[in-house]
Amino acid sequence: MSVTTKAAVPAGTTPPAPRSTVSDGESGIGTFVRRLFSQRALPYLLLLPATATILVMLGWPVVSVVLTSFRKLDLGELFQGKIVWNGLDNYRVILTDPQFWQITLRTVLFTAACVICTVGGGLLVALLMKHVHGWVRVVLQLALVLAWAMPILAATTVFQWMFDQNYGILNKTLVELGFTGFHHYSWFQTGLSTMTVIVILITWQGIPFVAFTLYAGVLGVPADLYEAAGLDGASNWQTFRSVTWTALRPLVNVVTFLSLLWDFKVFTQVWAIRQGGPDGGSQTLPTLQYLKGIATSHFGAAAAVSVIMILALVVLTAQNLRLMLRTEEVD
Amino acid sequence: MGRTKKRLASVVGLLVAAVFAFPIYWMVTTALKPANQLLSDDYDLVPLGVTFQHFIDGVSKKGFLNSLENSLIVALVAVAFALVAGLLAAVPLARLKFRGRKGFLLLVLVAQMAPFEALLIPMFLMIRSFDLLNVLPGLILVYFAAALPFTAWTLRGFVKGIPVDLEEAAMVDGCGRWAAFRRVTLPLLGPGLVATSVFSFVTAWNEFLYALTFLQDTSNVTLPVWLSSFVSVFGVDWGGAMAASTVFTVPVLIFFLVVQRNLVSGVTAGAVKG
Repeated sequence: MSVTTKAAVPAGTTPPAPRSTVSDGESGIGTFVRRLFSQRALPYLLLLPATATILVMLGWPVVSVVLTSFRKLDLGELFQGKIVWNGLDNYRVILTDPQFWQITLRTVLFTAACVICTVGGGLLVALLMKHVHGWVRVVLQLALVLAWAMPILAATTVFQWMFDQNYGILNKTLVELGFTGFHHYSWFQTGLSTMTVIVILITWQGIPFVAFTLYAGVLGVPADLYEAAGLDGASNWQTFRSVTWTALRPLVNVVTFLSLLWDFKVFTQVWAIRQGGPDGGSQTLPTLQYLKGIATSHFGAAAAVSVIMILALVVLTAQNLRLMLRTEEVD
Repeated sequence: MGRTKKRLASVVGLLVAAVFAFPIYWMVTTALKPANQLLSDDYDLVPLGVTFQHFIDGVSKKGFLNSLENSLIVALVAVAFALVAGLLAAVPLARLKFRGRKGFLLLVLVAQMAPFEALLIPMFLMIRSFDLLNVLPGLILVYFAAALPFTAWTLRGFVKGIPVDLEEAAMVDGCGRWAAFRRVTLPLLGPGLVATSVFSFVTAWNEFLYALTFLQDTSNVTLPVWLSSFVSVFGVDWGGAMAASTVFTVPVLIFFLVVQRNLVSGVTAGAVKG
């Protein structure tokens, strides 16, 4: 690195000398600009736009959400620009509301269901990809890319149509297969079945990424390990456990962690399908935050919900952040 | 692995492929089906006729073109900003030694993990105080900030992947530092820039929560918000909804096919390793 800088200084200073005799009038500004860009200031100048953006657009909101969570901030205070501190009132109200705990529990179970289905399904698809004929693999990968590429809201819309009570293809198929009870069955009548539809949707969208990542891991397992296992007379299951699973475990950890982060924060699918309904039966923490804050203008209370969400995410993130820093130290 | 086993796996593989492709098949065929076929109790997996009426209706529906335009503007401008600021930050972080480098790296890393969804309330209050509610720049600003850490971090990885010797050789040949970067490193960064911008574009194109919150005037929304209100307001016009969804999907599909090779490495590089 330092070699570059040393080499650059003479290279940078020699050519300008003749140039400055040509345009003498600008030399003052020219030198200033040159000094600015060739000296130690360069990295800081280059980093300035990104740093400023991150601090203003991310740093400040993090501070602000904590401050706001200790304020009484409804529509009245917002329009008058009044600052009314109310200490822990927002938290007290939220944490003593049994509905909040119900929603939190639902969010946790929902996240767990999404993560288990996505990672489990993705692992199965990745292993399947290894064992199919070449052309089948191409077809399968194309289908996965299609599913992955579909915009979230387009997918949500299509799922609503497939699960439609009257003309949805799912009910029609089930009736065709002999499950006549599904004739005009409403999937959005209870919170539980609504959540089930959302979990299916998220799993369908999430599996491609997991499958491709794990398939890359499967390909990375050296063939001689399988040969050795074969020579030792290991069964399929033993081979999977001692060879494939050992190689895949770090990757499985990563995709599990990422799915956990993504699924905990899901808003789009939940809101677009029934806006947390029926009767709040599919409400999760992100929709609660939106409802409390934006829809009903209790910004202080909503900020408290946000802080609780952030704390939960920090707990989830800390481990991964440490891992990344360690990687950084190595290279 | 026995032959029958492989055949069995292939059959299962095709079934799985069918499951994953089906919603897209269903979206496109529904959009093409004549209206009377949509609302019937018959079991019809194949369209009995083809009509483009839903596309014509859907596209001419109030607000569609406007929201398409909004989505394009917001996503493209935010990505362009993120690309410029991200590249400016990526180069020193990858190539230069300076005091505080580690601190900047940490800042970018931590920013990348920021739970944007949980910052809705302070963002709303901030954008409101900037007087940027209901106009596109407010949304652009948020998408820019959301895409920036990922962009900077991923591009840093790509810059590091290009041997610095190449630039040094160009400087020995008489190029200045900037010329060496522009003529040697920048062209080699092409694929990285494309992959990074596609990811940021898709994220912005998909974004729903902030679009729903910031653009409260129903005549001025982005495509996801328009589509969601379309379904709840005209719940029965599934042909139109599917046609609009198809139009919504096409740009992303094209992008995905372009960067298909870098898909996984792009995401995992940004999220997991350096």
